[in-house]
Amino acid sequence: MGALIRIYTLAGNTLREVIRNRILYVLLCFAIVLIATGVVLSALSYVEQERILQDVGLGSIRLFGTVIAIFLGVGVLHKEVDRRTIYTILSKPISRSEFVLGKYLGLTATIWLQLLIMSAAFALISWLAHAPLGTGHAAALLLSGLEMSLMVAVATLFSAFTTPMLASFFTAGIWVVGHLTRDLRQLASHSDVSAVRELAVWIHRLLPDLESFNVSIQAVHGLPIEGSEVTLPIAYGIGYASLVLILAIVLFERRDFR
Amino acid sequence: MSERADTSPVTKIVVVEDLTKDLRPGFGLRRKRVLDRISFSVERGEIFGFVGPNGAGKTTTLKVLMGLIRATSGRAQILGHDVRETAYRRHVGFLPENPYFHDFLTGREFLAFYAKLSGLRRSNRAARIEALLDLVGLREAADARLRTYSKGMLQRIGLAQSLVHDPEVVFLDEPMSGLDPLGRKEIRDLILRLRTEGKTVFMNSHILSDVEMLCDRVAIIAEGRIRYEGGVDAFLPHGESGTDVVATGLAPEAAAKLHDRLGERMRVQGERVELRVPHKQVGELLAELLAMGAEVTSVMPHRASLESIFLSTVQERRRWAR
Repeated sequence: MGALIRIYTLAGNTLREVIRNRILYVLLCFAIVLIATGVVLSALSYVEQERILQDVGLGSIRLFGTVIAIFLGVGVLHKEVDRRTIYTILSKPISRSEFVLGKYLGLTATIWLQLLIMSAAFALISWLAHAPLGTGHAAALLLSGLEMSLMVAVATLFSAFTTPMLASFFTAGIWVVGHLTRDLRQLASHSDVSAVRELAVWIHRLLPDLESFNVSIQAVHGLPIEGSEVTLPIAYGIGYASLVLILAIVLFERRDFR
Repeated sequence: MSERADTSPVTKIVVVEDLTKDLRPGFGLRRKRVLDRISFSVERGEIFGFVGPNGAGKTTTLKVLMGLIRATSGRAQILGHDVRETAYRRHVGFLPENPYFHDFLTGREFLAFYAKLSGLRRSNRAARIEALLDLVGLREAADARLRTYSKGMLQRIGLAQSLVHDPEVVFLDEPMSGLDPLGRKEIRDLILRLRTEGKTVFMNSHILSDVEMLCDRVAIIAEGRIRYEGGVDAFLPHGESGTDVVATGLAPEAAAKLHDRLGERMRVQGERVELRVPHKQVGELLAELLAMGAEVTSVMPHRASLESIFLSTVQERRRWAR
C-alpha cells in the first residue's frame, strides 16, 4: 500500500513537471497543425479525400506521439540524476524500483493525455470533413498509444545508464528497426542461408514488433479489425514493456550516484 | 508514530566500520581508493561534525550512508539498519550540498511531495508543512516556484524537506556553504534548535569555525582516512598552544618587565604587544595588564589543532607527489 502511494506520488509529480514544461505545448500545437494539413493534402486529390485526410492524421499522431515519448523518456531518469534531485528523493523511504516505476507511469500518463488531445483534434477534423469515424479509428489510436508507452519504456531503459543524447539515438533506432523486423523476417525467409533466416527470426523475436500496433490502414479503409488484432498487441505491449522496465530497474539498482 | 519504538533502544545512531570505497575514474584507469577502511560512530542526540578538506571523502561517505552509492567493503548502519535498506529512512532526513530541487514546484508543493513520499498521513500533512514553513521562515514565499528562490531560501526549504517527516537523525552536507553571514546564522540557529528537540545531527563541513560553534563531537577525514574522532574540546586551547592576547598603551618599563618573564612568547610592535600564554594563565595575565594601565584589544584562543591536522595532511600529500 505504501509503495503504491509512493509510486503514485512520483508519477503525479512527473506529470506535473511535464504539464508545466512549455516546450511540450509547442510540440503539441505543431502536431495538431500537422493533423490539420491533411485537409490541405486531401483537397489536392479528387478521390478518397477522407482517406488521405485520416491517413495523414493518424500518421501525424503516431509520429509526434513517438517523438514526444522519446524526447521525454530519454531524460526521465538521467535528468533526476544529473540535477541531483534524486538524492533527496532516495533518502526518503523509497526504493529505486519504486522510483523507476513512478517516473515511468507519470510519463506514460502524460503520453496518453497528449494522445487524447491529439485524438480530439483528429476527431474534430474528421467530423468537419464528413469523414467516417468508427471503432476502427479508436482501435488504431489505442494501439498507437500502446506503442508510445512501449517506446517510453525503451527510452527509460536507456535513460537508466546513458546520456539523453545516446539514449535518443538508441531509442529512435529501436523504433525504426522495430517497424521493419516483420518485413525483415519475411524477406529473410526466402534466403538460402539458414543463418540469415535464423538471425532475422531472432531479431524479430528480441526487438519489439511495432507493426503489430499498426491497424491504421484497416481503420482508414474501413476494413474489419478482428478482436485478436487488438487484444494480442495489448498483451504483447504490456508484457514487453514490463520486461524492459525490469531490466531498467536492475540496471538502475546497481548504479552509483556520484 | 508507532515505528519509533523499535528504533529508540539504539544509542549509536550511526555506525561505520572499515568502510572502503574504490572508484574507477574511467575505462582502463586504475582504481582509486576514496575511502580507506574508515570507522566512526555517532551517538544519539549529538551534533556530529564530519570534517575534512575538500575532496577528503566527506560527501562520498555521506552518499554511502544515504544509499546513493555502494561501498566496496565494510559496514554502515543507521539506527541499527544496514544502509541499503529503505524502510528505516522514514527516520532519516538528508540535505545534500548545494541542493537543487524540482524548480517547477512551489515551496508548499515541494514539501507536500516529500511528505507524501515519506508516508505522512494526509491528516497531519498540512499542519506539518505550515509548521515547517514557519520554522524556516518561508511562509511568505510558500506559493512561489522554487525557480525564484535565492540560494539561502533553497537551503532553508531543503532543510525543511529533510525534517518533513520528523526524523530522528538529520544528515547535512555542507549546510552553510555558499551562504551569506545572515544565511549562515539562520541555518546555525536551526541546527542548534534540532538538538534541543532531541534530534541527532550529522554534518559535513570544511569550515572549522562552524564545526567548533555547533558540534559536540567530530571525526576528521583526510585522504579517505579518519585522522581523529572525539570531542571538539581537543581543538580548544591546550598544551603548547594557548591564548593570544593583544594589548596597547603599555609603559616601556612595564613591557620590558613582562618581556623578561615571557621571553619569546611576547612580541612588541611599537605601542602594540602580542602575548601568547597557556590557557590557564589568561586571567592572571589580563589582570596584570590592566593593573599596568594597558588596554586589552583582543583575546583569542589559539586553535591550532584542527588546522594543523589539515596542514600536515597537505604536506604529506606534497611529499607523496614528489
